[in-house]
Amino acid sequence: MTQCPSLDVTNQGDSIRVSEKRLVQGRFYPVTLLLLATLTLSSCGGGARATSWTDLAINDQVIYAADLASIVALDKETGEVVWDSADEADLEGLGPFYTVNLLPETALFVTSQERSGGGLFAQPRGVLRALEWDADDVLWQFTGTTGYYIAPGIVTDNMLIIGNGDGLVYALDAEDGSEVWSFDTGGRVWSTPLVISDTVYVTSLSHRLYALDLATGREVWDGPLETGGAMTAQPLPLDDLLFVGAFDSKIYAVHQEDGSLAWPQPFEGQAWFWGSPATDGTDIYIADVNGNVYAIQAETGTLRWQEAVEGPVARKVLLSPEGDFLLVGNDAGDIIILDTQDGRVLETHDGIGPLGSMALEGHVLYVTRILADQRIQAFEIEPDDIDLLWEYPQPEDN
Amino acid sequence: MWDQFVLNPMINLLLLFYRFLGQQTIIAIAGLTVLVRLLVLPLTLRQQQSARRMQELQPEMEKIQKKYAKDPEKRAQEQMKLYQKAGVSPLGGCLPTFIQFPILIGLWQSIVRVLAVSPLDLLKLSQNIWPFLPNLSSLIPLQSNFLWLDLGQPDRYFVLPALVVVTSWLSQKILTPPATDPNSAAMAQQMQITMPLMFGLISISYASGLSIYFVLSNLITMSTQYLVRRNKSAPTSARGAKERSKE
Repeated sequence: MTQCPSLDVTNQGDSIRVSEKRLVQGRFYPVTLLLLATLTLSSCGGGARATSWTDLAINDQVIYAADLASIVALDKETGEVVWDSADEADLEGLGPFYTVNLLPETALFVTSQERSGGGLFAQPRGVLRALEWDADDVLWQFTGTTGYYIAPGIVTDNMLIIGNGDGLVYALDAEDGSEVWSFDTGGRVWSTPLVISDTVYVTSLSHRLYALDLATGREVWDGPLETGGAMTAQPLPLDDLLFVGAFDSKIYAVHQEDGSLAWPQPFEGQAWFWGSPATDGTDIYIADVNGNVYAIQAETGTLRWQEAVEGPVARKVLLSPEGDFLLVGNDAGDIIILDTQDGRVLETHDGIGPLGSMALEGHVLYVTRILADQRIQAFEIEPDDIDLLWEYPQPEDN
Repeated sequence: MWDQFVLNPMINLLLLFYRFLGQQTIIAIAGLTVLVRLLVLPLTLRQQQSARRMQELQPEMEKIQKKYAKDPEKRAQEQMKLYQKAGVSPLGGCLPTFIQFPILIGLWQSIVRVLAVSPLDLLKLSQNIWPFLPNLSSLIPLQSNFLWLDLGQPDRYFVLPALVVVTSWLSQKILTPPATDPNSAAMAQQMQITMPLMFGLISISYASGLSIYFVLSNLITMSTQYLVRRNKSAPTSARGAKERSKE
């Protein structure tokens, strides 16, 4: 490293004044450099910042939400805390938690991003735990992966099917966590697999959509559907088709039976498709990371309308129970209501932090957020109105 | 502003390197590192020459310090005169560094960004890719496996962090001129230990693609310094040879 003489040179009339104190060569330069490096590091990331979105699962009376530091169970009506994993000796200090999934009355499946070993040389790893339904004990944990879990997985046939950042899809026995099968997709799996009867459909960042046999994990199609971009969304089923977007800015309609394409050409959008589409049975609705929202005829792949909202959209688009409006959440955390007829923006609710996930039950929208003071919220949704019902933590609790 | 003028160009350049250099991330990183270091080479050379000149002035500086030990103002004036006489700007070594710094930070950030292994990082990357360059999005995610490494993750076997520490130490050792006063010597020695350790620590925590950049960068710095020194000593040697032949 070159040392810089950090002279304090100031003009005072015709003379030049040089501060004596700073004549010691290189005294301040290294400190500045270290300071800049530290600032750079903090701007680049690292530390305990969130790396993914948090998720939630809804039960009859309670919503379970991953809130990074803990898993919380909140009363659906009031938002009051029913249970907090931070209060459990077995779970205290673990995390950060990102996903949560339920097998009602049996188990709660939670994933976290932790570090194996300790100290400086600890290695990152994803941990999947099954918690006992009421007693809150850890039933089992699965640490046999080398990547992180991003999506919560799906419980079916007493198995938890879940993808991992190591590129594998795992089928685990829900009761004891033993591995039933695993399948290598060749790329990170960030989506929740879709299960229809005895077939598992799963997308991968390897640009592929796979169909796997639920019992054995073997490929069902002759080969995966190869697209031109990474895939991060769960496919949307409609009749005998699947609809899924990719980072090549295209939407694919695929026959569930054999993986062949249903439309003459995939629908071409303007940017990466990250989240899953929604459907009313006739059209599919989807948004891209440039904030374009599309309504596409499911049968033909023809664009019905397109509308731009502010900011990237990487979460699933939600459709109201009556099918009259769409809910779109952007990267800033805004919630935007659009008319399904023509895409008109009906209402916008300004966000207080990036959205983790959104779930609509009737006309109540539950959201999780990251990097926000209030990280779990419930809203009453009407086509032209968004009313906050409750939020967690409550502002006065901060 | 930063993204528009620094980060985006570097990210897209890195993706182009990746696309046209066999879709090997390590080669793309190497290519961009070499290119950026070549672009800032004039600044690096100026910085190193300035440091060398400052070093040459050290004996006279010490004399001034001793002579005007009790008159700081006079001492400062004399030192400035010395700088002016020698045609050296006391800040001449710093300015190139500060111009280079954002470029190198941009390079660093672009490597981390394209190796995005988390959803939030990948979403950020989606906003950095220029849409008018066709098919760059289809390259995502980059092929990040190289030997035992996943370039998007820290090196589990700590080989790269060790290389980073060794090359950083060597680079520091070669670059730091021998100090004449005890304060500078102590500071230089401290930096020779602190900086490599700091970079080693970063290498343990960050994507190993970044460690590749550190190692390459250190190797380039050492090569540059070697060439500067060789150029400096070449005329002297040639003159000596000429004189010897006269004898």
